[in-house]
Amino acid sequence: MALSFSQTSFTRPNHVLGSTGSVFSTPRSLRFCGLRREAFGFSPSNQLALRSDRIRIPSRKSFQVFASASSNGNGAPPKSFDYDLIIIGAGVGGHGAALHAVEKGLKTAIIEGDVVGGTCVNRGCVPSKALLAVSGRMRELQNEHHMKSFGLQVSAAGYDRQGVADHANNLATKIRNNLTNSMKALGVDILTGFGSVLGPQKVKYGKDNIITAKDIIIATGSVPFVPKGIEVDGKTVITSDHALKLESVPDWIAIVGSGYIGLEFSDVYTALGSEVTFIEALDQLMPGFDPEISKLAQRVLINPRKIDYHTGVFASKITPAKDGKPVLIELIDAKTKEPKDTLEVDAALIATGRAPFTNGLGLENVNVVTQRGFIPVDERMRVIDGNGTLVPNLYCIGDANGKLMLAHAASAQGISVVEQVSGRDHVLNHLSIPAACFTHPEISMVGLTEPQAKEKGEKEGFKVSVVKTSFKANTKALAENEGEGIAKMIYRPDNGEILGVHIFGLHAADLIHEASNAIALGTRIQDIKLAVHAHPTLSEVLDELFKAAKVESHATTRTVSEKVVV
Amino acid sequence: MAVSSSSFLSTTSLTNSKSNISFASSVSPSLRSVVFRSTIPATSHRRSMTVRSKIREIFMPALSSTMTEGKIVSWIKTEGEKLAKGESVVVVESDKADMDVETFYDGYLAAIVVGEGETAPVGAAIGLLAETEAEIEEAKTKAASKSSSSVVEAVIPSPPPVTSSPSPAIAQPAPVTAVADGPRKTVATPYAKKLAKQHKVDIGSIAGTGPFGRITASDVETAAGIAPSKSSVAPPSPPPTPVAAKATTTTTNLPPLLPDSSIVPFTAMQSAVSKNMIESLSVPTFRVGYPVNTDALDALYEKVKPKGVTMTALLAKAAGMALAQHPVVNASCKDGKSFSYNANINIAVAVAINGGLITPVLQDADKLDLYLLSQKWKELVGKARSKQLQPHEYNSGTFTLSNLGMFGVDRFDAILPPGQGAIMAVGASKPTVVADKDGFFSVKNTMLVNVTADHRIVYGADLAAFLQTFAKIIENPDSLTL
Repeated sequence: MALSFSQTSFTRPNHVLGSTGSVFSTPRSLRFCGLRREAFGFSPSNQLALRSDRIRIPSRKSFQVFASASSNGNGAPPKSFDYDLIIIGAGVGGHGAALHAVEKGLKTAIIEGDVVGGTCVNRGCVPSKALLAVSGRMRELQNEHHMKSFGLQVSAAGYDRQGVADHANNLATKIRNNLTNSMKALGVDILTGFGSVLGPQKVKYGKDNIITAKDIIIATGSVPFVPKGIEVDGKTVITSDHALKLESVPDWIAIVGSGYIGLEFSDVYTALGSEVTFIEALDQLMPGFDPEISKLAQRVLINPRKIDYHTGVFASKITPAKDGKPVLIELIDAKTKEPKDTLEVDAALIATGRAPFTNGLGLENVNVVTQRGFIPVDERMRVIDGNGTLVPNLYCIGDANGKLMLAHAASAQGISVVEQVSGRDHVLNHLSIPAACFTHPEISMVGLTEPQAKEKGEKEGFKVSVVKTSFKANTKALAENEGEGIAKMIYRPDNGEILGVHIFGLHAADLIHEASNAIALGTRIQDIKLAVHAHPTLSEVLDELFKAAKVESHATTRTVSEKVVV
Repeated sequence: MAVSSSSFLSTTSLTNSKSNISFASSVSPSLRSVVFRSTIPATSHRRSMTVRSKIREIFMPALSSTMTEGKIVSWIKTEGEKLAKGESVVVVESDKADMDVETFYDGYLAAIVVGEGETAPVGAAIGLLAETEAEIEEAKTKAASKSSSSVVEAVIPSPPPVTSSPSPAIAQPAPVTAVADGPRKTVATPYAKKLAKQHKVDIGSIAGTGPFGRITASDVETAAGIAPSKSSVAPPSPPPTPVAAKATTTTTNLPPLLPDSSIVPFTAMQSAVSKNMIESLSVPTFRVGYPVNTDALDALYEKVKPKGVTMTALLAKAAGMALAQHPVVNASCKDGKSFSYNANINIAVAVAINGGLITPVLQDADKLDLYLLSQKWKELVGKARSKQLQPHEYNSGTFTLSNLGMFGVDRFDAILPPGQGAIMAVGASKPTVVADKDGFFSVKNTMLVNVTADHRIVYGADLAAFLQTFAKIIENPDSLTL
């Protein structure tokens, strides 16, 4: 995934971390995609078999039975609804919720006013991964020194822009079809049209179709945020929506915002031959990353590439190229608002974050007031109305609530809601949700950054320790000639709790999950350090961290070794 | 990310959170020591100064081959603190990594010239080291003046001397594409700026030829007098259009490869050479040869050889001295409209290195003495072989020397490198029967030199006069040792 959307010029309500949340919410203003179970989608017949096996529903006809059983179990009033659950928005969040709802035996409908898959699949994480796959290979093939160190000889690498663009588009289409098929095969009704809330448990979609449901999930997502004064023409001044179509590769492109989206696109554009100028409102590039990681990342991803940057400035006005003039960007000082500079470039990509897409949802019908467009929710994703009370049976997940703008976070929130409506209380731990940026090499993280952890430790009176390891110490990384990278873990030496893990290096995005799972399951370092990693693999980078950590308490679970014996 | 991991610098696991970890793969540990230079003003006797120096400057070290400046991350030691040889003094951030820098000497950190968070070019003084406690105060006062004087010390390329010839400094008309509305500011692309910094080119002095009159990377490369590097990205392959058809016809004209032949793509160095050679075809050149009697030179060489003087240094020094008398041969013509007299006489010397050719530059060859020149040359060759030459050490030449005499070649013809006025091809010195003006035969060692020059700026008589001076210096080489 990862179109990520770090928003630096726009803050977000912060429910994530309580008091330390303000530090935290800015970094996490990202949007990533993690498609849930799309693997099942490749072969519908196979998938149906798997699914039915798992949920013991051989065909759609038996849904009703299960649904009512479930409702009764919930103690719901014996009122008849068209559906148990209606989800507005068929993005990755809605899709994740729908699949889990079916698993729980709920009769489910999903409403989509545009295309199934939402931002992630169509205009975000998925197509951007296709472009980044190309950029990674271009970068490698162009690096003569790198090739030579393998003993490989490659003559000049080139690319066909349309071919690259087609790859991204084909991938989006394929994933979209997988998503659609997976829902259809399970019996989720896909209703086409724009959905809105008419009143409690009542939804309108399309022109005048009205349906009812016991519970409603709003999962309408977000759109690129374009600050005032910037004129987007879709050709020379563009957002990520346009950039992913790769209709042109400009000689020189300015990228406004150096968060995840900006970074990933800088990776793509520089690999394809563009020069890049970053415009960042904060005083340093890559705000939101652990400072040590962003320092190293800047050394590897920015300094040696054809990239320069202006920090501490806003792009107050951007005029598209016309009448034989280039794109003009007026920069003002972020603090004093004094004019600072004017840039003339061939194109500008606006990557200043994402704004919630919540207009026209009929929220006034249930007395809900958005905050900067975001729908206020509690920690169980229950929507809060203008008086601060909970709206019954109405939930909001994903970018629309702004808690953590990542595709996989939306999906996780959706699953959490389904757990609740099917009778099991569940609160999602947002600190265990990993995030990744798919540059070359990749950056990934979970939990707190070092400064955040130290602040928390000071407040709550515990000691914070840090261990680090280099990819240069990893055999597999050296075999790949990719020794550039670092992994660090922030933890409590007194009890072995993992507070945060940050990785910059080869396949960092895949490596983070050992840490995020440990955080989610509450696994302590003294236990996980006894787990075995295959040699030689990149996973030993994390093994190295666990083993290097100095924890005062000893391993708690003897059961682990007993289980292994079986 | 592609990485050169030739050095396994950090194979140890880096678990100490306070250690400065290096991720610079190209940095070798041997570079991690501070460079010191005495602050005693250089007098005519350079040997005496090392003895007297009690206060040493701590210099910004070159931590990687591409490093041009470094940032002080932190001073580990504070002013007045005692230092033991081998201790870390300061943490420096280069383009690649943070590195601890150690001291070679015992002493006291007398003064910090460049504070934390500040940047200094490689080689600039960042602090002072006093040998005894008593000298700390002295060093501090020195530091106060140092911070300003070191700036002056920095080599600023002086503009070419203005000659009596009509001033060539007529501003070129701005490119027509630019809409001239008032004074325009300089627009340079990110890569152009990076290159300008790397090659120490003043970006304000370059006329942009890119879209909207902007300065592009190739403009900077042209201004720096280097061949545009192989574009890192092949341009998007064009759709099959008639334009492409033209290109393919030329390739199909090539004879097919013989069976069993292999195709080896150019290395970066070979591409650069190829590009330079093609470029040289646009310069009208001519050649003048001259026989030089080397008996006296050979005798001198035997005398100074034990002191480490090389033949290359002798020839470079002689050429430098001759060029000083014939500045036009040291001039260069870059745009075909004007030419510039170069303020320095920098002799580039062609060196064959494994799989390539590079031209390390002996700067100010006319001014440096023979011993210094020889020393410098050894250093340059060492760097060339380990591929650690800094750009200014191979692209600042104003005249090139190529010597194939050691192979027994008696004469050859060199191609003029773009951006220079002349190149000298030196053959072997061989016993030759010569007749003097009275008709007496004798056998003398004679060496044939052949100079190729740019006829747009250097004419036959200029070159002949230069060669005559050069021959005189070689035949009466005492002046070389002065």
